[in-house]
Amino acid sequence: MIKLNVNGQSREVDVDPATPILWVVRENLEMPGTKFGCGIAQCGACTVHLDGKPIRSCSTPISAAEGKSITTIEGIASEDGTLHKVQQAWIEAQVPQCGYCQSGQIMSATALLQKNPQPTDAQIDAAMAGNVCRCGMYNRIRQAIKAAAAIEQPAAQETVA
Amino acid sequence: MTTVRTFACLTVFLLAGCSADAAPGPVEQIIVREPGAAPVATAASAATNNDPASALIAEGKAAFANCAACHTVEKGAANGVGPNLFGIVGRAAGAVTGFAYSDALKSSGITWTAANLDSYIADPAAKIPGTTMVAGAIADSAKREAVIAYLESATAN
Amino acid sequence: MSKNKTATDKPGKTGKWTRRAFIGAGVVAGSALVVGVAVRQGNPIDRLSPLLTNGENEQLLNAWVKVDTDNIVTAVIPHVEMGQGVYTALAQMLADEMDADWNKVRILEAPADMQYVSDSIARDFLAPDLDVPAIFEPTVTGGILELAQAMGLQFTGGSYSVRATGQRAMRTAGAAAREMLVAAAASEWQVPAGEITTADSMILHAGSGKSEPFSKFALAAAEQSLPAKPMLKSPENYTIMGQPKARHDIPEKVDGSAVFGIDAQVPGMKYAAVRATPVVGATIESMDASTAKTMPGVLQILNMGDFVAVVADGYWQAQQALNSIDTKYSKSEGDSLDQDALFARYATHLDEAGDDGGDMETETGDVGKGFADAATKVEAEYKVPFLAHATMEPMNCTAWVRDGKCDVWSGHQAPVNARQAAADAAGLPFEDVTYHNAYLGGGFGRRSESDAIIMATRIAKATGYPVKMIWSREEDTAQDHYRPSATSRFRGGLDKDGKAVSWDNIHTHLFDPKDAPTVPYYNIASHKIRKVDVPTQLRFGPWRSVDHSQHGFFIESFVDEMAHAAGKDGYAFRRELLAGSPRHLKVLDTAAKMSGWGSALPEKHGRGIAFVPSFGSIVAQVAEVDMSGAKPKVKKVYVAADPGFVINPDGFTAQMESAIAYGLTAALYGEITLKDGKVQQSNFHDYPMLRINEMPEVEVALINGDHKHLGGGGEPGLPPIAPAVTNAIFAATGKRIRELPLSKHSIA
Repeated sequence: MIKLNVNGQSREVDVDPATPILWVVRENLEMPGTKFGCGIAQCGACTVHLDGKPIRSCSTPISAAEGKSITTIEGIASEDGTLHKVQQAWIEAQVPQCGYCQSGQIMSATALLQKNPQPTDAQIDAAMAGNVCRCGMYNRIRQAIKAAAAIEQPAAQETVA
Repeated sequence: MTTVRTFACLTVFLLAGCSADAAPGPVEQIIVREPGAAPVATAASAATNNDPASALIAEGKAAFANCAACHTVEKGAANGVGPNLFGIVGRAAGAVTGFAYSDALKSSGITWTAANLDSYIADPAAKIPGTTMVAGAIADSAKREAVIAYLESATAN
Repeated sequence: MSKNKTATDKPGKTGKWTRRAFIGAGVVAGSALVVGVAVRQGNPIDRLSPLLTNGENEQLLNAWVKVDTDNIVTAVIPHVEMGQGVYTALAQMLADEMDADWNKVRILEAPADMQYVSDSIARDFLAPDLDVPAIFEPTVTGGILELAQAMGLQFTGGSYSVRATGQRAMRTAGAAAREMLVAAAASEWQVPAGEITTADSMILHAGSGKSEPFSKFALAAAEQSLPAKPMLKSPENYTIMGQPKARHDIPEKVDGSAVFGIDAQVPGMKYAAVRATPVVGATIESMDASTAKTMPGVLQILNMGDFVAVVADGYWQAQQALNSIDTKYSKSEGDSLDQDALFARYATHLDEAGDDGGDMETETGDVGKGFADAATKVEAEYKVPFLAHATMEPMNCTAWVRDGKCDVWSGHQAPVNARQAAADAAGLPFEDVTYHNAYLGGGFGRRSESDAIIMATRIAKATGYPVKMIWSREEDTAQDHYRPSATSRFRGGLDKDGKAVSWDNIHTHLFDPKDAPTVPYYNIASHKIRKVDVPTQLRFGPWRSVDHSQHGFFIESFVDEMAHAAGKDGYAFRRELLAGSPRHLKVLDTAAKMSGWGSALPEKHGRGIAFVPSFGSIVAQVAEVDMSGAKPKVKKVYVAADPGFVINPDGFTAQMESAIAYGLTAALYGEITLKDGKVQQSNFHDYPMLRINEMPEVEVALINGDHKHLGGGGEPGLPPIAPAVTNAIFAATGKRIRELPLSKHSIA
C-alpha cells in the first residue's frame, strides 16, 4: 500500500511503485481530469502539482509521491465550488477549444502564479513552453494568465504548497 | 458524404479481409488470467534478497521508472527522447552515437562519474545549463544513489 | 424548390414523408403526451424520443429542437464538438430564429441514429413538406446534396456545420418551431397570428396584453401544421447571431469534468495497449510473449494478425507488457519504400505526364497560346511531406461486446460511421450496437476514421468483457491516416506588362475538396490544372483543410514567384489578379492595410502575403517574420476573413488563431518520413509541435460580405499561413522556400 495525499485527502493505493502518477490518479483514484498525451514529459497534458511544484505525472512514478501532496485539476477550486482565479480567467478569455490539454495548462499556470504572481512574457514562455496546445490557443493562455495575475486571490484558494 | 462512408467501409473491408461478417478474431489468444482472479505471485516479487549491494541495485531498478520514459539501459537498446544509458558510468558526456545531444551537453567536457551523475540527476539544468533533459530530476539522494548503482550494474554486465 | 412539389399524401417506396406523417406521428406509444413532430412514418419517434427527451416534461418540436415545461429550449445538434464551438454557433442560429431566451437554451448532441443521418431526412426536411426560401438553395439538388453531406451522415468536417446544417436546418427549424408556437397561441387566444410577437422565449399579444412562455404552447404547437415556408430573419433583425456568445462547453473544460473518449468509465472495464504492424499491409508472423505473460496485471495477450494487444488491469501495465513482446512481421510490398524514393516516384509520374498528360481537372482558354505569347515564363516545383494529425488525445476506444449486443465509447467526427464500423467488426446488426460519443480531444480529420473503433471492438469481442484501448503516442504518430506528401509543378506566363496570362499546374494526388488546386478567382486568361495519381501504401486521411493545406502553399508561393518575375510587389500583383472581384479585393486589402504593407521593417524582417478562398470563406493573411536569429521567428500574423456572415465573432476569431497555429506547426516542423516502409517519427520529440514561445501575435478582421452564403470557420484560416510565412522569408532574405517544412532548410 502506498499512502498518498491527493487534493487534501489521504488515499491509499495498492499498485506497483513504478506506476506513473498519471495512471494511478486516472484509473485507481478515478479522477480522469488529468490527461495522457505523450507518456514522455513532452506535452504537459498530465501536469499535476507535487508539493506545489508542477510535474509531468506520466513520467513520475507514484513512489515519488509517497508522503507528499498531489494536487490535480479536480483540486484547485475552493471547497464551496468557487473556481480558482486561473480557471475564471480561462473562461473569461474563452481559452479552451477541444479542451484536452487544458487541465495541464491550468496546472502549469497556477503553479507559475503561485511562485511568481506577476510573470513577464518571458517568464510565461518559460513556464508554459512544456505544455502543448494543439488547438493553438497560446495567445489566449497568455492573456488569461495576465488577467489572473491581476486578480487578488483569497489565500485559502491557493493550492496546497 | 458518400466518400466518407465508402472510406469507412473500405477500412472495414481491408481489415476484415474477405469476411462479410465480423472482423477477424485473434490468430493467437493467450489468456493469462480471468478478470477478478487473484494474480499469481511472480518470481520477482516473491524473491527475497539478502545481499545489500544487489538490494540497492534492485531498488535502483525500481526507481529507474522515473527515467524509463526517455531512457533505455539494456545494451544496444534504442535511444528514446534521451540516449541509451548502457555503460554510462565512467563514460564521457555526449558519447552515444546517433543521439542528438544539446550543444551544452556535448561541450560540457564532463565524465559521468557517480558524483557527476549524482549532481546532474539532482538538478540537470543547474549542472549543465542548456541541457534538453527537462524532466526526471530526482530530489531524494538515496534514490539517486540507488539509480546510479543500477546504472553501474548495467555497465558491468 | 417549387418545381420539386412531387410528394403525394401516401408514403412512397422511397420513404418520402408526407406532410401528415411528418407532423402527425408525434405520439409516444403508451404515453398520453405528444412529444414531437418531424419523424418519419412507421413511427420511429417511439425510438427517437427516448433518446432525446427525458420523458413527460418535454416536447420535441421537431428533430432539432425541444421545449420543456421549464421553458428551456434545447437545440439538438447533429454534429460533434471538437473545440470548434459548433454547439454554440448552431444553437445561436436556432435560438435567434426562434426568438428564444439565450440564457435558457441548452444543447444536446444528436444520438448516433439514422434519423439524423439518412439523406432522405435532408430531402424531406426541405421538400416536399417544407420549402426553404429559394435564396438558400442555389439548386434543389445541390442544396439537398450539401445538406445531406453535413447532416446526412452526421459528419463533422469540411467546415460544414454552420454553413450547411446551421444555415439550412437549424435556422429553418428555429423559425418553423416559432411559427408553430405562434399558431398554437393564436388558436388558443383567438387572435390573428400576425398580431402575435415573440421574444426571449415568450409569446406576446400586445392588443390583449397576453403573454405566456413557449412551454405553455409546446404541446399544442406540436399539433400544428409545419409551416410550408418559415420566414427567416434578415440580418438587421438578428439578436443572437453575430454576437460573441460564450461557448457552452468551456466551463467543464476548465475544471477537469469534461468527458473525452479516453475518460469512459464502464464497470468491470480492463485496459488494452496495442501495437500494429509498422508497415501497413504486413501481418504478424510470430509473437514472443514469454516475458509479458509473467508481468503484473496482465490478463490476455492477443495476436490479432495485424496488431498485438495486451489486456491488463491497468493501462500502464498493459503498455509495459506490450513493450516486452518481440514480434516478427511478414514481408510486405511496402518494405522498401522510403521518402526519397517516394518523391522520386512522384517525379517519374510527373515527368511521364509532361506538358499534356495526367488527368485534366480544369482547363480554361488556350494555355499553349498563352505561353507562346508570354514575354516571361516562370517555372517552379514545390514539395510537401506527409503530416500526422497529432491530436492531443491519442486514439482510443472503449468497447463491450456481449450477449449479441455491443456498446462503444469514443469521440468520433462521424458517430454513425463509428457505430456502423463497430457493428461490422462485432458481426452484429447496426441496431444492436449503441455508440456513446464524448468530447473529442482534437479531431482535425483524424477522428473521421474508424480504425480505432474497429480495433477496440475486435479486442472486446475476443475478451468478452469491456476493454478500454488506448494508443500510445508512438502508435498514434506511426499509425495515422496522413495528409499526403505531394509534389506540384507550375509553369506561368507573363505578358510584357507583367500581367499573368497563362497558368499550368500538375500535381500528385487529389483527395478533397476538388476545387483545392483551382484558382477561378484569379483573373488569368488561360489555365489548365492536372493531376497524376501515384500509389503509396500509407493511408491518407483528411487533415485540417485537406487538399487546401498543400495547394494553398503551392499556389500562393507560385503567385509570389510570378509577382517577383513581373517585378511587382506581391500585394499589388494579387490586386491585379483580383480586379473585378470586389469581395475578394476587400479581404486582400483589409489584410494588407492592417499589416501596414509597404511600411519600413527592421533589418532581416520581411512581410509575406497569401490569399486563399476555401470552404466558402475568403481569407487573406500577412505574416511578419524575423530572420535575424537562428530560426525563422513569425512575429505577427494579420488575418482578414470573410465567411459571408460571422455567427459568433469570438469563436470565428479563435478558429483563425487555431488554424494558424496548426498550419504554422506544419510549416515549421511537420514532417512524417518513411524508411523501409516504416514511419520514422514516434512522439513529440521527433514530431515537434509549436509551443507558446513560438506563437505569433494574431490580429483578425472579420468581414460580413454575403449573409446569404455562409462559409466555414474551422479550416479556411489554415491554407494561407505557410505561404505567407515563406513569402515573408523571401522578402527578408531573397531565399525562396519550395519545400516544407522550414526545419529542412538552413536559412537564417
